[in-house]
Amino acid sequence: MNFGVIKALVAKDFALFFRNRFYTLITILGIVTYLIVYFVMPSSVDEELEIGLYAPVIPPVFEVIQQGGGIEFEVYDSEEALKKAVTDGAHEAGVALPADIMEKFASGLKPVVTLYFSTDAPDEIKDIVETMIRELAYLQTGQTLSIEVSAEILGPDLLGEQIPIRDRMRLMLAIMLIMLEMMGLASLISEEVEQGTIRALLVTPMSIRDLFAAKLIMGASLAFVQGALFMAIVGGLSSQPFIVLFALLLGSILFTGSGFLIASVSKDMLSSMGWGITVLLIFSIPSFGVMFPGTVTDWARAIPTYYLTNTIHQASNFNAGWGDIWTDLLILLAFIMVIVWGGIMALRRKFR
Amino acid sequence: MTQDTIVADKLTYHYNDLIAVDHISFSVAKGEILGFLGPNGAGKTTTIKILTGQLKPKGGKVILLGMDVAENIERVQSEIGVCFEDTNLYQRMSALENLDLFARLFGIKSFDAYALLKRVGLAGREKDRVEHYSKGMKQRLMVARSLVSQPQILFLDEPTAGLDPISSEAIRNIILEERKRGATIFLTTHDMMEADKLSDRVAFMNQGKIVALDKPDKLKQKYGKRALKAKVSGKNGALESLEIDLDTPQTPEDIHNLFKKENVVTIHSEEATLEDIFIKITGRGLTE
Repeated sequence: MNFGVIKALVAKDFALFFRNRFYTLITILGIVTYLIVYFVMPSSVDEELEIGLYAPVIPPVFEVIQQGGGIEFEVYDSEEALKKAVTDGAHEAGVALPADIMEKFASGLKPVVTLYFSTDAPDEIKDIVETMIRELAYLQTGQTLSIEVSAEILGPDLLGEQIPIRDRMRLMLAIMLIMLEMMGLASLISEEVEQGTIRALLVTPMSIRDLFAAKLIMGASLAFVQGALFMAIVGGLSSQPFIVLFALLLGSILFTGSGFLIASVSKDMLSSMGWGITVLLIFSIPSFGVMFPGTVTDWARAIPTYYLTNTIHQASNFNAGWGDIWTDLLILLAFIMVIVWGGIMALRRKFR
Repeated sequence: MTQDTIVADKLTYHYNDLIAVDHISFSVAKGEILGFLGPNGAGKTTTIKILTGQLKPKGGKVILLGMDVAENIERVQSEIGVCFEDTNLYQRMSALENLDLFARLFGIKSFDAYALLKRVGLAGREKDRVEHYSKGMKQRLMVARSLVSQPQILFLDEPTAGLDPISSEAIRNIILEERKRGATIFLTTHDMMEADKLSDRVAFMNQGKIVALDKPDKLKQKYGKRALKAKVSGKNGALESLEIDLDTPQTPEDIHNLFKKENVVTIHSEEATLEDIFIKITGRGLTE
């Protein structure tokens, strides 16, 4: 590697990037817009209680409470419908009463009442709902231990670890911000191929390794600095900053490699933007899962950014340490190696 | 004894089924200008790409300055300068920045970009972005960029194509200055006059093969026809054209008879152009 050559190429790429008004505009606008979006989002959690109810037979005491309007129950036709409503976020808690509840009360047996909680329901909701059900059973039967309660979390159990929506969103914003640079880098490379400047570089003593090293440094540093700056401003580095920064760095390299791949299939700036948006949308999917728990299923694990978002989410929002996220980081590294290598190979073919 | 700085030995290249370069061999001596002529698609640019290490030949090999290009690509490329047919400058950078970048890529620490730009007639516009340059200015900057490292071999691909006469002349002068410096120059051009004027030897390329390679004068002698063309006044006063072949035993008598029997209005000698020779050899024009 010739560091003098790499330095010259990186300086050239930065100059070209920031002399393009469009790239400069999207870079500045990206940071400003995402910061505004973050700060206008609510910083607290809405803890209003909403309960779904499945009850083949509704005990009289439940009917009295419903009619009195003290607690809002929404009644579902089946237990599956109730579970789906809780999973989809329509209710933070759901109560399923057994069909034989009245018979069991009458015979002195303990009916099993199942409670369902959404993945992000606050810890205190669980206590409130369970206490309320026991109180209702007591009112119905006049006995203190008249029911058994079974609680189930639908989706990943984050009970008691709820976080404000904007803190969920900051991860998505940070990743989208650095992904914008992926599109910028892809356009820059496409422009080099389109204008033939890459041919001029390739007949100098500069090696192809130096060229790719310079592109990697330029793309990754541009993305990383923006991502880190954004996370610092929005408080994303207050918990496990080294893990968050390391993950952001890996993410920046991942997106730079993706930029190589995009550039290899693009003919000009417009097509690289088109491909870039497609990749950006796919790569954004895992971060939607962070924003809206339960909306993304296991297939999202096939998307490289799943391991990036999960690492940053766990570290910045739940104070997860290296021991908690090392497998995600390893998988992310494997994805990076494949994508960067694939991008370099594809671009080398294009440069010929 | 002259030393060959470019040696191409049975070079072959094909794009799938299309043979672009078909077993061509030639050599260029140090300080020589070789004009490489041929119509579009003849294989000139592919040849330059192979010679400069942009393409690996499918067969044969290239020796530049005694080094096998395939094995010493970086060393070879540090000794060559390439001026491409299409403008491929960094448009959002100034002329000065373009040259400085390439100087750094060549590892040149002390480099006077101003002097080089002055030499190609761009003094006073050094700090202007290239996107604001005219085509002629850009082409002169392309030539300047190829000279940054003071290369031993200069590859110039259509350096004057589409330029105004002043810019073309400026570039031709630089080519001659570079030869004087001792550089070997590989020049492709469509301009027959330019090739004739600048080249020590010319190679005609057609359908991937070199069909002729020699000094322009020798090619003219070998393939051309020298003639005397005259316009004479006819019986009713109309001008008529006459042509006398200069290379036959009958020539002295024909010339004598021309002046004795005809009323000669104009007379001039005519020798074959490189274009005529190319057509004669290949049956097609250079601009086809």
